[in-house]
Amino acid sequence: MSTVQNEFFKKPKKGAVLHAEGGIHKAILDFLRKSLEKKCFDALFIPVKVHDTDSYVWVLLKDKSLLNEANPLPPVISVQGGRALSTLTKHGEMNLQIAAIMRPCEIRAVIELFKLKQVSLNNITLISIDCPGAMPLSDYISNPKEMAKRFNNLFETWEENESLRPICIICHRFSLSSLLPSISRQSASVELEGIDSPASDIHIGLVGGNGEKIFLMPVSSKGEEILEKLEIATEDSLEDWEIKEKELRDKKENKRKKILQELKAKIEGPKKFVAVFDQCINCHNCMRVCPICYCRQCYFDSKTLRLSPEVYLTRAKERKSLRFPLDTLLFHLGRMSHMVLSCVSCGVCEDACPMNIPIAQVFCIVADQVQKSFGYVPGRDRREPPPLRFFQEDEFQEVEMQYKKTISREETQNA
Amino acid sequence: MNKEYNPKIIGFLCNWCAYTGADLAGVSRLNVPSSLKAVRVMCSGRVNPLFVLKAFLGGADGVIIMGCHPGDCHYQKGNYYARRRFVLLQKVFETLGLDFERLALSWVSASEGPRFARVTTEFSEKIKKLGPNPAKEEIFL
Amino acid sequence: MPKVLKIKKGVEEGINDFLKFLLESGKVKGIFTLKKTNENGAVSYSLITHLDELKKAVPLFPLMPVNAGKVLSAFTLLEATKDTVAAVLRPCEIRSFIELVKRFQGSMENFLLISLTCGGVFPLKSAVNGEVKKLLPIYWESIKKGNISSNIRPTCQTCEHFIPYQADMTIAIVEKKNTDKECNIFLNTDKGENFAKEAPGDIVFEEMDTNEITELKNKRKTQKKKLYEELGIEKLEFKTLIKIFSACLSCHACSHACPICYCTLCDFESKIFEYKPSSYNMELNQKGGIRVPPGTLFFHIGRMVHMGVSCVGCGMCSDVCPVNIPVSMIFSMVGDSLQKMFEYLPGKDIEESIPFGTFKTEEFAEIGE
Repeated sequence: MSTVQNEFFKKPKKGAVLHAEGGIHKAILDFLRKSLEKKCFDALFIPVKVHDTDSYVWVLLKDKSLLNEANPLPPVISVQGGRALSTLTKHGEMNLQIAAIMRPCEIRAVIELFKLKQVSLNNITLISIDCPGAMPLSDYISNPKEMAKRFNNLFETWEENESLRPICIICHRFSLSSLLPSISRQSASVELEGIDSPASDIHIGLVGGNGEKIFLMPVSSKGEEILEKLEIATEDSLEDWEIKEKELRDKKENKRKKILQELKAKIEGPKKFVAVFDQCINCHNCMRVCPICYCRQCYFDSKTLRLSPEVYLTRAKERKSLRFPLDTLLFHLGRMSHMVLSCVSCGVCEDACPMNIPIAQVFCIVADQVQKSFGYVPGRDRREPPPLRFFQEDEFQEVEMQYKKTISREETQNA
Repeated sequence: MNKEYNPKIIGFLCNWCAYTGADLAGVSRLNVPSSLKAVRVMCSGRVNPLFVLKAFLGGADGVIIMGCHPGDCHYQKGNYYARRRFVLLQKVFETLGLDFERLALSWVSASEGPRFARVTTEFSEKIKKLGPNPAKEEIFL
Repeated sequence: MPKVLKIKKGVEEGINDFLKFLLESGKVKGIFTLKKTNENGAVSYSLITHLDELKKAVPLFPLMPVNAGKVLSAFTLLEATKDTVAAVLRPCEIRSFIELVKRFQGSMENFLLISLTCGGVFPLKSAVNGEVKKLLPIYWESIKKGNISSNIRPTCQTCEHFIPYQADMTIAIVEKKNTDKECNIFLNTDKGENFAKEAPGDIVFEEMDTNEITELKNKRKTQKKKLYEELGIEKLEFKTLIKIFSACLSCHACSHACPICYCTLCDFESKIFEYKPSSYNMELNQKGGIRVPPGTLFFHIGRMVHMGVSCVGCGMCSDVCPVNIPVSMIFSMVGDSLQKMFEYLPGKDIEESIPFGTFKTEEFAEIGE
């Protein structure tokens, strides 16, 4: 089994540094508007504010006037971008060129869904953007103006802010580094020949710009073509961005290690782990908002798990009481085993939980470990198949060790 | 977008009575509003309230369901259920402040060509007065 | 005159004693009721079969983590229970269970249904981080004074059906001033009377306090008008609806928490309402922009059409909504007007057919002419 290396594949060396007078959001929207006008794209997929409210929804737009209310990086993630793009392209592509601009975790979810055949990427250009994090949805709903203000202040210094969602505070995948394939990729899917590996096509760097400039860079060959068509020269050095990004990434990685270790100590072991779900009401919101959970009918909602009252009463007698709705832990651990390899730690599950269970952080602890043991980072490489889809003859031999030591020795003895 | 307002009315017509009645109106050269787009269903009882809701949210200015007179349903009971479903949907619209007058239910038998023409013309006039459906322009549905 | 089991203890202790008697005597094999999951205010419905666990029961705890009608339906979905089981539920939970039984989603056989005159429950948000423990004394004070507790669910503040219809026994709460000294359990049916035989306490004849009940009902009616205005929903129209549902994530938490929405695969989650590329193309060309996921208003109004006639106003939908949309107030408003039109009260009578499963040949005569 190969190890994950820290070098990245085809990282862009140069790009276009654009000045952002009027702010970052305006600079990005201007770039998008121009790309629509020059017919690089027929439509944009971007969050738009609903008139007279503080709500952001994904809109597929052709009408440029809608860009006046658009925001490429809203203070909250309402619907996960991967889930939204999946509803758009699940049944095939539209014959339009669409540019979708999303946060890195959303882009990675799109790529995972692409691998699961829930998203068609023909005619879609993915534009990723540095993400300072997102505000907790319930906090934003109670006080949108204040939360939006705190969020917008983050773009100058990118310093830590306790108002952000806990899962964002420990996120080290906020930029391009997690959207590029690893050099030591295990195997490439033969069916995907001719597809460019990186997750996004164009990346917009914001870190290191102090809120005054944006770093536009092509990531894939499609991205290069588009910037050429827009006559945007990509000769500027990206050093300011690169240095600050690495600095911030290292800092966040260390923070992540520390916080997840502390959290793990609080939840590990049967007693403590069960206690995490003391308040769980089995609403299954977390599953429904999750981009990776795409099944129309979740196994844990199906009739398979329904039993006769006799069986329930017998169980209740054995344990002295039986909590209803049933199978709280079965649901969470089961869902974990189904999707944790593709978990991008976007945190929409935690936002959706009515009982404030830190579900994103719990899943994050497990996701990090499981993904590491397979050397897999979900969503970084379009051609990297999900680990359970293939195997190598000699791998994970440490699991077989016990068998080899005991039983197979007996067999050779008895032979 | 200053288009002239040409109302679009979706009509769900039952095969045995209303659709035949509509046919008769056509053959008799009676004046039937061009704004009506007919959808033939076997019975007014087949009309799922969600069809009407989807038509409305899809931008239809008016939706009308037409079937056999009570007691004359080709399948005996279909139109009774249709009547209940219609009043239910209309009441939902009314409570939510949506234009419940954009929905109509009318009984037209196979021989009632003139009645078909009259009902659809009156409905079309009403829809014209109500103006275009706000759902037509709304992106955030 | 109704029979009442009077236990000379505070109502919480009294009901716990009665449940203990039910289990100990073997009259029931198990009891569905709220039970403490930890010491921090977390509670959940449990099927309790042993006295040790019954010690942790909190039947009157003002929280509804899940609508118990849904729980009883899940328990008896495949078949009726052969063993007698008692269940302590709120009036709206019994009503939902009956609506589910009408739809063949459960069975009432061999249940002893115990309910209460309901003072409402707290929204689930109050239960997060144990806040609800601090609110308990204020809650019981309001109930004693015959007032509406200010931090309960909006649907509870405006509920007019707080006297249970189909319970075998009703614990008197909101109409009594002495719930700290006396526990009164009205025995509504023969079954109720049978189960109360030999129970701790005395069986007396007593009338229900209708004055207190009428007064509370009126207070709640007034509160309804006030809340509608506060939420801006007293006069709804197309633009208001767009605004109210602007934040909707299409997560469908509301429909999954709803006891009446029992469909294993909801229409609105099935393939039929998934947009094909041609539909997106068409709408995009017509309007210049289209919201994704599409069909937010379609889902909500469609759900109202499907379940509105059986809406019992329990308020679970609002509680599970991640973006604080007042779903339960709007749905119960529509539910009320539909139920009035059809002269139908969900959960009142198991023999009463659901309005769209039946018809009268002469009704709504003005329609269609």
